[in-house]
Amino acid sequence: MSTEFEVGDLLPPLTHTVTPFQLFRYSAVTWNPHRIHFDAQHAREEGHAGLALHSHLRAALAVRAVTEGLGPEWRIATVAYRLRRPLYAPVAVTYTARVTAADDDRVTLELVEENPSGEVGFEGTVSATKTDIVDSARLLSVAGATT
Amino acid sequence: MSFTPEPGTALAAYYEATVPRVGTVLSRRRLGMLDATTIGRYAMTIGAADPIHYDRAAARAAGYDDVVAPPNLLAAVVEWGAGTPESNLQPDGTPVDGDMPLGDGLGLRVMGAGEEMELVNPVTAGAELVIETTLDAVTPKNTRSGPCVFITTSNTFMSADGAVLNRNRRTVVLRDPVEEN
Repeated sequence: MSTEFEVGDLLPPLTHTVTPFQLFRYSAVTWNPHRIHFDAQHAREEGHAGLALHSHLRAALAVRAVTEGLGPEWRIATVAYRLRRPLYAPVAVTYTARVTAADDDRVTLELVEENPSGEVGFEGTVSATKTDIVDSARLLSVAGATT
Repeated sequence: MSFTPEPGTALAAYYEATVPRVGTVLSRRRLGMLDATTIGRYAMTIGAADPIHYDRAAARAAGYDDVVAPPNLLAAVVEWGAGTPESNLQPDGTPVDGDMPLGDGLGLRVMGAGEEMELVNPVTAGAELVIETTLDAVTPKNTRSGPCVFITTSNTFMSADGAVLNRNRRTVVLRDPVEEN
């Protein structure tokens, strides 16, 4: 049993409004030329209701809910998710992470994305392992690492 | 109950051409160096404020060699290096002959459907990246939104010395083009 987390614990939810600006920047930084993310007319011609959120952006936001909720001594080990429906910007989304397994150095969480209508658009699981930051910093110091 | 796309459709042509490739290595290539600017820009774009993504000293204090990438950066990048000339992009903008076979020239509609990621080692600035892509599965289904094909690839991201950084298993869904009126 973890001394920090117990099964059923909820991390603070991450609520965020995804805008077309964010989609544009996400397309740019990932060098993604797929038009459904930045060309609304093309997206509608493909049958979408507007600019589609990137699946990886949704995953990144979901994982943020975990990294920010667990704190810096935890590192993400595995992520798995499935998209149930597309989302279109602008949209407010909330990501919640609930602990489903925990021991001293590993936690597993269930991830859910909801939009304001209460629809679940994304489901997944994340596992994280605890690190020993103090030891790592000490080893770097011993090795003569500088900033 | 098994389902196969209707003969004569773009989806059927894609399915028939792609199924024989299941189990094969589609590519193995060098991607180049991941720099600190890309890591910082990715973190900024997703709203990740932790200084380990921007500040080398903060990253080192946290036990990393250099600024560290948010967990799904490698998985999210569509094109590495200079990318595909605009003249070689498909009408929907997707690159021809990308890491994932998307039915070049067939006009299929593409959407991400899910992913499994194993983050084996931290991905830090300066990493010289290599990717190997294997085609895992090509699965036709008849869904509520119509016939489609799910394609799953495995990407293994490695450093130049062969150390595995990430293993990602990604699935996208392909649908027939929208019919012209």
